[in-house]
Amino acid sequence: MDGMKRQEFDAVSLGILWDRLISLTDEIVSTLVRTSFSTIVSESYDLSCVVLDAEANSIAQGTMSVPIFIGSAPVTARHMLDRFPAATLAPGDVIVTNDPWLGTGHLYDITMMRPVFLNGRIVAYTMSITHLPDVGGIGFGSAAAEIYQEGFRFPICKLVEAGKLNEGLIDIIRTNVRVPEQVVGDIMANIACNEVGGRQVLEFMAEYGFDDLMPLSRAIREQSERAMREKIGTLKPGTYRNSIDLEGFDGPIRFVCRVDVKRDSVAVDFDGTGPCVRAGVNVPFCYARAMALYSVKTLTLPTLPNNAGMVAPISVSAPAGCILNAQSPFATGGRHAMGHFVTPLVYGALAKAAPDRVQAESGMMNLVTFQGRHPNGRGVSTIYFAAGGYGALDGIDGASTTPHPSNMAVVPVEIWETITGMTIETKHLMPDSGGPGKQRGGLGQEVVLRNTSGSLMTMLGMGSRTRFPARGMFGGGEGRLRAHSVDGKPVNAKARVELPPGARITIREAGGGGFGPPARRAPAAVLADVENGFVTVKGALGDYGVTVDPRQGTVVRRTAKSKPKTAAKRPAAAKTAARKKTATMAPGAGR
Amino acid sequence: MYRIGVDIGGTFTDFALFDALGGRMAIHKQLTTPRDPSEAVLDGIGALLTRNAVPIDRVGDVVHGTTLVTNLVIERKGAVTGMLVTEGFRDILDMGYESRYDLYDLRLRFPAPLVPRRLRAEVVERVRGDGTVARRLDKASVQKAVTGLRRKAKIEALAVCLLHAYANPAHEQAIRKLVLKEHPDLYVSTSADVFPNMREFERWTTTTVNAYTQPMFDRYLKRLEEGLAQLGFTGRIDIMTSSGGTVTTETARRFPVRSLESGPAAGALMSAYHGRTLQIDNLLAFDMGGTTAKGALIRAGAPLKKYMMEVARVHEFKRGSGLPVRIPVIDMIEIGAGGGSLAGVDDRGLLRVGPKSAGADPGPACYGRGGAGATLTDANLVLGYLDAGFFLGGGMRLDKTAAERAIAATVATPLSLNLARAAWGMHEVINEDVARAFRIHASERGFDYRGATMVAFGGSGPVHAMAIARKLKIPRVVFPVGAGVMSALGLLVSPLSFEVAHSKRVYVDDLTAGAFAEQLGRLGDEASGFLKRAGVGTPDIAMTIRLDMRYQGQNHDIELTLPRTDDLAALFCDLPRLFAESYAETYLVSFIEEPVEIINWKVEVTGPAPNFTAGYSLGTIPTGDARSARKGSRPIYLPGPAGYVDVPVLDRYGLAPGASLTGPAIVEERESTCLIGTGDRATVDERYNLVAELAN
Repeated sequence: MDGMKRQEFDAVSLGILWDRLISLTDEIVSTLVRTSFSTIVSESYDLSCVVLDAEANSIAQGTMSVPIFIGSAPVTARHMLDRFPAATLAPGDVIVTNDPWLGTGHLYDITMMRPVFLNGRIVAYTMSITHLPDVGGIGFGSAAAEIYQEGFRFPICKLVEAGKLNEGLIDIIRTNVRVPEQVVGDIMANIACNEVGGRQVLEFMAEYGFDDLMPLSRAIREQSERAMREKIGTLKPGTYRNSIDLEGFDGPIRFVCRVDVKRDSVAVDFDGTGPCVRAGVNVPFCYARAMALYSVKTLTLPTLPNNAGMVAPISVSAPAGCILNAQSPFATGGRHAMGHFVTPLVYGALAKAAPDRVQAESGMMNLVTFQGRHPNGRGVSTIYFAAGGYGALDGIDGASTTPHPSNMAVVPVEIWETITGMTIETKHLMPDSGGPGKQRGGLGQEVVLRNTSGSLMTMLGMGSRTRFPARGMFGGGEGRLRAHSVDGKPVNAKARVELPPGARITIREAGGGGFGPPARRAPAAVLADVENGFVTVKGALGDYGVTVDPRQGTVVRRTAKSKPKTAAKRPAAAKTAARKKTATMAPGAGR
Repeated sequence: MYRIGVDIGGTFTDFALFDALGGRMAIHKQLTTPRDPSEAVLDGIGALLTRNAVPIDRVGDVVHGTTLVTNLVIERKGAVTGMLVTEGFRDILDMGYESRYDLYDLRLRFPAPLVPRRLRAEVVERVRGDGTVARRLDKASVQKAVTGLRRKAKIEALAVCLLHAYANPAHEQAIRKLVLKEHPDLYVSTSADVFPNMREFERWTTTTVNAYTQPMFDRYLKRLEEGLAQLGFTGRIDIMTSSGGTVTTETARRFPVRSLESGPAAGALMSAYHGRTLQIDNLLAFDMGGTTAKGALIRAGAPLKKYMMEVARVHEFKRGSGLPVRIPVIDMIEIGAGGGSLAGVDDRGLLRVGPKSAGADPGPACYGRGGAGATLTDANLVLGYLDAGFFLGGGMRLDKTAAERAIAATVATPLSLNLARAAWGMHEVINEDVARAFRIHASERGFDYRGATMVAFGGSGPVHAMAIARKLKIPRVVFPVGAGVMSALGLLVSPLSFEVAHSKRVYVDDLTAGAFAEQLGRLGDEASGFLKRAGVGTPDIAMTIRLDMRYQGQNHDIELTLPRTDDLAALFCDLPRLFAESYAETYLVSFIEEPVEIINWKVEVTGPAPNFTAGYSLGTIPTGDARSARKGSRPIYLPGPAGYVDVPVLDRYGLAPGASLTGPAIVEERESTCLIGTGDRATVDERYNLVAELAN
């Protein structure tokens, strides 16, 4: 060998060594989090750490990694090694890039890779990716028309060469960002965690007497690939299609996919998807691919650790130039706002292939940036986050106010009021907003905020689902639409709106789609929903065809003759026309 | 005078009787009586005293830890509870964090609120974040709300949860008064009283847990007090809290939520005690029982603490799937790994053990009660680490053939392993899981465990401790005497203490030294009141002040523990420097030119440490050495080419201080077995601890 022979790994040792590698990667993450400066890293965990073998196959990824980093690491690594072949690398080198097309889809994500040397030979690479607090340019959001406006882009280059920091590059970065201390601090944290990671990999190898990781890497990847192929076998083979309409800027944008499920492989193709737009929402292919991989994984083997073997049975393609394979110089800053819809697109396609596992469409999250002045005189620029309803699944009602596929956490009312000087007047669930179904979609919510700061404030929205609701599945109904209004007047959920002192903002979050025909929902479940106020008496009758008397605690299903049709359409909530072309997105949403 | 520690666990209730003067200890264990846990407590105390010929009037105090509160929540057997909230915010409990705790599991579940939506009602009022009143409390709305709730259901408890009540509790207090006047039979909990911190979802959930458990806990304590009085007990009853301090029954009744997880806290506290007597700064407390393993990190004699825990996880033991509770609590690692953990094949096609557990019934296959699944205890039996004839000191016979059958069927055959390899794999996977959990926990807290010492206890802990220590490169493991009843012992080293934590957000620049000292003085008085009412004199009260602080614009706090001082005003001038130092230490970055804010103010007061002699023995004082204590030998499985090797088996109770031995060896006591690895050297110290140094 050098190292152990493959047959030496059995179900005991492979599991232990594999888990140990993942835990080692988690420790790299923990170093990164502890040493980073920005809250994007330390609080939002918008990051990933990966260990790759000597041939740049990923073998372990930090368990907290967000979905968008699935499968991107080896691709970035290969680009890096094309530029700097392994034979030319020296101990202490750190290679870096933030190129959206070589990395993870927008300039904000910086990727660093460092070779790990043992006895003068590269035995592994460690890699870290974090979302930087700033990259200069127009600022985080979708306002840019081309990538050049979005900030600095550096090609694949060496940030550290044989242990010596490239001060010139650091100076350029420092000069071009608004919060240099945070940005440079995070870059240093990335360098530090890769150094620690390299040490950990060598300690791991010494502990188990390896002088080569390839046999273990092969065993891990083969085991993963085999498990994945086997699980793909539980999907019903066939060719499936789906399309989704999204709210764009000059009209709707259409996402189209075709998914070929074979006995042990899945192919996702986005041919037919609409073209790029002149706003910062175009999706480089690496991001579209990651979301497609995430979608397939959640339907097959959600517990399988991320590595190169896991993704091998899944191929993803998109024609160059469509919005899911955007080319330079289209702007990509807010690529997630569009990219997140890949998930419901793929679930919809695979509904018949895995009816017991797919999820109806979710209401999705909403990020609204508020800028202004706190009554104490200090400036305010912060994001209000609110979630729509979660799509229902076979046997499970959608959770209320739960985001998917992205993830954030709500800012408590008490914290929000304290840091902004605004008042939240009410925040409550909207009855009947969840799509009706055998399993009901998650409820959306209504939040009423008031500008009590005493100064003019600005609201920057990025809300979707104001025209296209979360659709149900297998006869389930759609969730209610999202809507923004100011002082009772509807406003575009993607627009920039000025809020004079005293203005009252109402944000209605979209409900999730239902699963299965509402007529088949257990009457007792409808009764419980009515008693808890999740469904009104009127909704129970209109959507579910049952007459509920909450006082008596009785529920009666209407006779077959007057039974409502499945997938009961409800009148859509206030439709909001896109009035303004410009739209801005808030920072911190890179997930 | 004697003192008694009683710890109610899921299966057993443990007792420790301690003679403060003589340094003698007696222990007792009996089955928990789930229907009324006080039955086993009273029974056991009677038995323990009779057996040791101690009259009850010689017992000065009973210190009590219990899982009763936790179980009420897990089993959802608490009181029918109503809730009053600020108008417009009735749904906060349903909305939760608006976040998924697992990114990949589409079928994740969230815990239902303890108070269903229909039993929540709104009252008209509004307090602002700075404590000023935006809208005065409409008393009629309170009367209407409570009457409405009582019409809907027979509510017994009421949680009163208003926005920003931490900043100004006046409305909550007025509601309490009003409600109790009209409904004197209701148990009322108010959020600012339970835990006056910002973040409504967490504070309100904590308050509902308090309200939901209060009636049962009150009745339980009443039965206990009456029962003890009938036995002739005239001393004091103290109740253990999750933060490692005890409180009077009066305080415990007011805050049952603070008694969640008191047993594990006591175990960690006992480990800290051992660390202090052994003068070891960095310790890992490791406790493994039947279903879970627990760990805690101890720095300079005190377990690390936190102010957040989860209770009643509903989805595969996952972090995030429980109800969040904000109370002062010892910062524990919890791993779904114990003697009953079931082995199987995971999604990758590899061996996995836990977190599913066979529990106590049917239990491991070797219990012979019909359990067909292979558990960790089965593996340890097959490997020879446990003795089929000496489980629980011989109190229960184990069926080795059944264990072999279960492992063959559920692990060895499906994974193409031989029996010994399968069993050893199960043992080793658990060692890895525990080591991993410690590594991550320590690394997230910047705790350097290399060079630290492990204290191992619980029924299954001592079998695994040495191997885990080896993985962590920890040089030393301490096996304290009485490893099976550590929590009961821990109760006896726990001082009376109480902590108040108050959210009040203020820029340091906007404060004066006087205002700073006054705010802390007020909190100190509030906390001290709980001790003074229990008879602790002012000079005996020690105060620890912690502040959660941050630079403006950041979202994460740093907890700064202030140096002990009598001159708070003088300390105030040092505050920016102290914070900058602490920040640099945590985040490895230097000073930042941003204003500094204080978010939470935390004052903990502690009474004098109870009289607990360092050296104690159980029963007869041992006199022998490793040779005389040898009971025999048996083959155990050692990893590597050797396979099964015959090793000596020693009786722990026969080892006198100074006795030493070299592994491989097995040292048995009634409730646990210490496995000493090849080349490791173990010595009994003067406090009867078995201290093992790992071979290099």
